[in-house]
Amino acid sequence: MVTKVISADHAVAWGVRLGRVEVIPGFPITPQTLIMEQLSEFINDGEFDADFIPGESEHSVMSIAVGASAGGVRTFTATSSQGLALMHEMLYAPPQIRLPIVMVNVNRSLGAASGIWLEHNDSMPERESGWLQVYVEDNQEALDMVIQGFRIAEDERVMMPIMICLDGFVLSHTVEKVEVPEQAEVDRFLPKFKPMNMLDPADPRLINPLVPPEYAMEMRYQLDRAMDDSRIVIKEVDEAYARAFGRGYGGLFDTYQMEDAEFALLSLGTATTTARGVVDELRSKGKKAGLIKMRFMRPFPEKELLEATKDLKALGVFDRSVGFNSFGPVFTEVRGALRPLRLQITDHIAGLGGRDLTLEEMRDIFARIEESLSGRAERDVYWYGLRGRQR
Amino acid sequence: MRVLDSMYEVRFHGRGGQGAVMAAQTLAEAAVLDGYHAQAFPYFGAERRGAPVKAFARIDKGRITLKSQIYHPDMLVLLDDTLPDIEPVAEGLKPEGAAVINTIMAPEEYDLGISVITTTVDATTIALEKLKAPIVNTSILGAMARAQDIVSIDSIVKAIQDKFGEKLGPRAAKMNSEAAREAYQSARTGRCKGDRPIVQKDQWLPDWDQIPIGVSLPTTQVGGVVVGPGSAWQNQVGTWRTSSPHYDIDKCIRCLRCWWSCPEGTIKRQEDDHMKFDYRYCKGCGICAQICPVDAIEMIRGVKTW
Ligand code: SF4
Ligand code: SF4
Repeated sequence: MVTKVISADHAVAWGVRLGRVEVIPGFPITPQTLIMEQLSEFINDGEFDADFIPGESEHSVMSIAVGASAGGVRTFTATSSQGLALMHEMLYAPPQIRLPIVMVNVNRSLGAASGIWLEHNDSMPERESGWLQVYVEDNQEALDMVIQGFRIAEDERVMMPIMICLDGFVLSHTVEKVEVPEQAEVDRFLPKFKPMNMLDPADPRLINPLVPPEYAMEMRYQLDRAMDDSRIVIKEVDEAYARAFGRGYGGLFDTYQMEDAEFALLSLGTATTTARGVVDELRSKGKKAGLIKMRFMRPFPEKELLEATKDLKALGVFDRSVGFNSFGPVFTEVRGALRPLRLQITDHIAGLGGRDLTLEEMRDIFARIEESLSGRAERDVYWYGLRGRQR
Repeated sequence: MRVLDSMYEVRFHGRGGQGAVMAAQTLAEAAVLDGYHAQAFPYFGAERRGAPVKAFARIDKGRITLKSQIYHPDMLVLLDDTLPDIEPVAEGLKPEGAAVINTIMAPEEYDLGISVITTTVDATTIALEKLKAPIVNTSILGAMARAQDIVSIDSIVKAIQDKFGEKLGPRAAKMNSEAAREAYQSARTGRCKGDRPIVQKDQWLPDWDQIPIGVSLPTTQVGGVVVGPGSAWQNQVGTWRTSSPHYDIDKCIRCLRCWWSCPEGTIKRQEDDHMKFDYRYCKGCGICAQICPVDAIEMIRGVKTW
């Protein structure tokens, strides 16, 4: 193990290298670029034996990834925002063909009315593409999830691709302390990739032909069940990782100070770090605040969340993207899942388009949730840092 | 070395190309070597050579529980001493905080706009001598080691060697460490002046219902701030530059390369194809001097006009 002070993008590149990925198709887009640069450097310096294939667009990149993975080799790629949107058509192929590609999406707002900065409106719409989808909080988790990601995706009970989302700039370009594991340790944890169906001239088969109505529904249900089963694999892999490396992340989600909490925030991505600090502050004042660190949006941990929140009185949900005329996507899903509980649930939208999420805003978020302990909230959805009156 | 009792925050201000981000990252690495948790990150914008840039670093005993920008730094670092003329750099600096400034002035002569314990160092001269380039980040890191008692000079030098060695090779690592050590030796500490008002930046910040609909802006001035097309024309970047292009009309062969290469449209083509420079728009990037095939343009240190 070596301690390095590196960005999340570079941490991802280390995870890919240690995971002995064999093919990396890529197309550069800010703020994902540091991943591809670092991987190219590893390969160029002869430290990492993988084929880097520059695609002429993200659409091609995902097509190449499908081909490579179907060819039986471990495949990784990374993208962001407009790049993910351009991939959209091809994203639907690997889940149903059961190709365990690992992709990092560095979250960045999807235009118009955007620049290069953080928002979750690029990855949230892809929840229904059939990919497992996880959000990480810090650089260490970014590295660890790439390694865990391959083991989850390649498990024969899953055999589905996974999208690891990390916050653009706030994580991708921030350096932190990262423990980089030894190659031998990772080799022990991550077995060689055993493809399920493989393009092999010695054993010809048709992959992804036209599927008539007689079969498509059953195939969808297969995928639906595999997604559900992945909940178990995610937990197992996280526990195994904790045993091997001393770091676990709680699997589908993690909790902080939830044992006796009366009110809590459910957040994802880097917002969780600031929220944890505010929970500490509130606890030191004797207030029973808690935190749920949401990790997986797919599979969605409905049953597990119900259990974790059953004694709560008020829950706030953090959203870094908007569902227009309704609520943020995380809120919509969480409220749906927790309907049986009659819990006071409010939506808290902040940090869109790269707006800095400040400590004061996070304190405000918790203050609004605490207010809703009374049983009624002033409104269902609150915006923070918005100039002008919310109506 | 003192043991930290609460989170320590550092904000760096420099100009694109001076290495502010690398300085913040190196400080974080040094802090980790000294057993702390640390994070460092740039202000997330498009960095352009010469333009004012910011970077941030946080150091704490335990896990850092904050991921926002830094608004109330314990330490302010200026890689360029002219920045307070154009940017509200001192804003939010804690009164009991400290400043580290790259300047030829003594601490007592420098007016930051807030009077704090200040360490000054002539990092530009040290960098030009040791590195043959005005990349002042490693020298300023040396001065920072003098200005606080949390991160040691030895860890800073070690972090410089790691970082620069990995990126640029052992020779660069050695020269940059020397620059840091020399700055550590020559830095002076005192209390700066706080007489000047902190400049305020005009920024157009309307309420949501006051923003024109459709991500589309007409050519307008709102409260003296240009918000629509033509803002590049009205945005005079001349204050950014640290060196200025000198044009020699006798050497010029009228090839027009500088004219179409200048990213700011500073260079105006004349009737007979010789060039005129409108220095209000020159940010000093030096592209014109690089591209000129006959060395008719030379970059001269300082904000100059001819
Ligand atoms: S005139 Fe030369 S130095 Fe000035 S902005 Fe143009 S290219 Fe850069
Ligand atoms: S590049 Fe040099 S030679 Fe060509 S027009 Fe400009 S100054 Fe003259």
